[in-house]
Amino acid sequence: MSASREDNTSSDAQLSPHFRDLLDSIIVDIASECHRIAKLGLDRNLEDEEEELRLSTQARVRAADPSNSGETNSKYVVDIFGQTHPPVANEIFDCMNCGRSIMAGRFATHLEKCMGKGRKARSKAARSSTAAQNRYSRGSPASTYSPYSNSTSKNRLSNGSTGVAGEELSNGTSEEP
Amino acid sequence: MDLCSVKARCSVPKPCNHLADYKLKYGRTGYDSLRNNFVTGSNGNTIVCMPDKKILTCFFCNGYHERLYLCLICSSVSCLDHTLLHTQSDCGHDIAVDVKRSELYCGRCRDQVYDPDFDSAVISKYKKDLIVHRNAFESIGERSSKRRRLSSAIDLDLKKWKELSCMRDQRAKSCYPMGLRGLNNLGNTCFMNSVLQALLHAPPLRNYFLSDKHNRGACQKRSLDRSCLLCDIDIIFSAMFSGDRGPYSPAQFLCSWWQHSANLASYEQQDAHEFFISLLDGIHETENKLRDMNKGAGDCSCIAHRVFSGLLRSDVTCLTCGFTSTTYDPFMDISLHLDPSHCFSTETTNKGSKLNGSTSISTSTLVGCLDLFTKPEKLGSDQKLHCQNCQERQDSSKQLSIGRLPLALCLQVKRFEHSLVRKTSRKIDWHLQFPFSLDMSPYLSSSIIRKRLGNRILSFEGDECDISAEYEIFAVVTHSGMLESGHYVTYLRLRNQWYRCDDAWITEVDEATVRASQCYMIFYVQKMLYHKANDEIGCAPTSSRRDSLMSVVGCC
Repeated sequence: MSASREDNTSSDAQLSPHFRDLLDSIIVDIASECHRIAKLGLDRNLEDEEEELRLSTQARVRAADPSNSGETNSKYVVDIFGQTHPPVANEIFDCMNCGRSIMAGRFATHLEKCMGKGRKARSKAARSSTAAQNRYSRGSPASTYSPYSNSTSKNRLSNGSTGVAGEELSNGTSEEP
Repeated sequence: MDLCSVKARCSVPKPCNHLADYKLKYGRTGYDSLRNNFVTGSNGNTIVCMPDKKILTCFFCNGYHERLYLCLICSSVSCLDHTLLHTQSDCGHDIAVDVKRSELYCGRCRDQVYDPDFDSAVISKYKKDLIVHRNAFESIGERSSKRRRLSSAIDLDLKKWKELSCMRDQRAKSCYPMGLRGLNNLGNTCFMNSVLQALLHAPPLRNYFLSDKHNRGACQKRSLDRSCLLCDIDIIFSAMFSGDRGPYSPAQFLCSWWQHSANLASYEQQDAHEFFISLLDGIHETENKLRDMNKGAGDCSCIAHRVFSGLLRSDVTCLTCGFTSTTYDPFMDISLHLDPSHCFSTETTNKGSKLNGSTSISTSTLVGCLDLFTKPEKLGSDQKLHCQNCQERQDSSKQLSIGRLPLALCLQVKRFEHSLVRKTSRKIDWHLQFPFSLDMSPYLSSSIIRKRLGNRILSFEGDECDISAEYEIFAVVTHSGMLESGHYVTYLRLRNQWYRCDDAWITEVDEATVRASQCYMIFYVQKMLYHKANDEIGCAPTSSRRDSLMSVVGCC
């Protein structure tokens, strides 16, 4: 142990000026680059960036505070125009494809069938079996509407209307002819 | 307003007296004589090589450990100590070159000094790299006049706008900005609503439609096919800016878009970014069909391209010989990977306990993501590319930069992560800090190349000058929830006030709420256009907004 330590010390003594030179060289490299950036005014406005970061951190602290009213209840508030709206949009208008009167919040479901688009229309040959499959699995937690099954949606963030999606699916079942 | 802020970005410091004297006496002869001695070192910097001597040593003490300087007057090489002595003993021998870094050194000032002529000599062999094409498909003359024509078309035609405004009802006279209106969710369509809100308030796009540039009455496509995507977009603009404040149902538009993008037409949860791209694509195709043209992305003048299209430059450099090949590709938006290095400590909990206002905990920042996007990337050894100079496959590095900035810039944050091993995807919930004012000049090709060549002082052929690189945020599309089920909300910034657009619900929020949100798509517009837009949609000065708020509650 001690013998190797001695060896280490002597090789350290031999090594260290070279190491020191290397280190000096690297430090001067960086100093030279920074000197150039500073002298030529190429450094970004650091004050602004720091201010933005500070504001951002402040905002996050405030948002994380449970005593602050969150955004989660915004669907039940009065909007800036003094209006309130039901969770499912209830405006009624005529479908531009078939002419039937449809409620706004159910329009997309209706249109999908009306236009013959969507999963059911994808393959004529498989239509009956697909439809049967859909009916079968609609109630299950592993919804056929999950985009995991769709390869193009791998890079996708999906959306729904919060909390209402499940109800929408089951409503769709009853509407089916 | 100074539109040449890019050129002024690199300020040349005044030379010290000693450098000035040297230049008076010798001009550029000293620099030029060294042109052929500059060689690119292994770590990217430029070094001075003397062909007759492989290893340079100090003339006086034979030392080679420290940094060495080449005197520009007598060409003697000395270490720092002897350089300073040399300056003192030999009058006029003030300026030397640091041979390891190719930097000028003044022995009298004892400091590194800078001269554009010297830098020019250092990078003379990289002349080819300095050509920055704003648009690879146009010649220079065409380019500037076309750009002037295009930008004037984006201005709001006030005459038409005033005609429209006469038709607005009393509610419009309230102090809320025009066009602020909820959008009904038609069934899992918040992905669509969120993007529509952003586009409705993109100043150049808004001006185009409100100036009636797509006239529904005269639309040929509509009369022939009975459906035109541009007409349907125009309908939305008219409805949203009509002055009516009740939520609007974009049903006709949904129908029209599904007809165009058959593969996306289904009642299921979808991605906002995918919709955005599909919509811009639809606008492009529709306009091309209308004008019976078949323009590629590079020279298309459809409104989608005029507003959102920019040019991305890709430089692939051979790591052996330094030869660089450059290609240009148009883009409609930029997708950014989240910079992972900052996030290990803060995102494990949503509670405020881990955050306290005083310490600046490192977080992912948009600027950090942009830095990552333009960072040189060493391509793997399995991706060796053929180098024209070396005539064989070599290890290369690739670097992206922005060749031309768009009027409106959309930045998408890639919040999904795939594990090929586990064959699963997950959403990345890290917070990303994003600025309200963004300066894109560090990411322009001119800045990136300049940096790659050691930040030398130089100007570029075709340097960005008539387009400012300063942007202001005008919309943020945020996502909350999980990868397969979540909710989109858009925050709009109108007249410096933020509004939250959650389908039919429009509410006012403060800046902090927006800063704390989980951004997915961030929309910026050129600063000048942002300020102009604020003037156009205002109907009451912001200072009296509070008072006006009181009167609105009464009349709505």
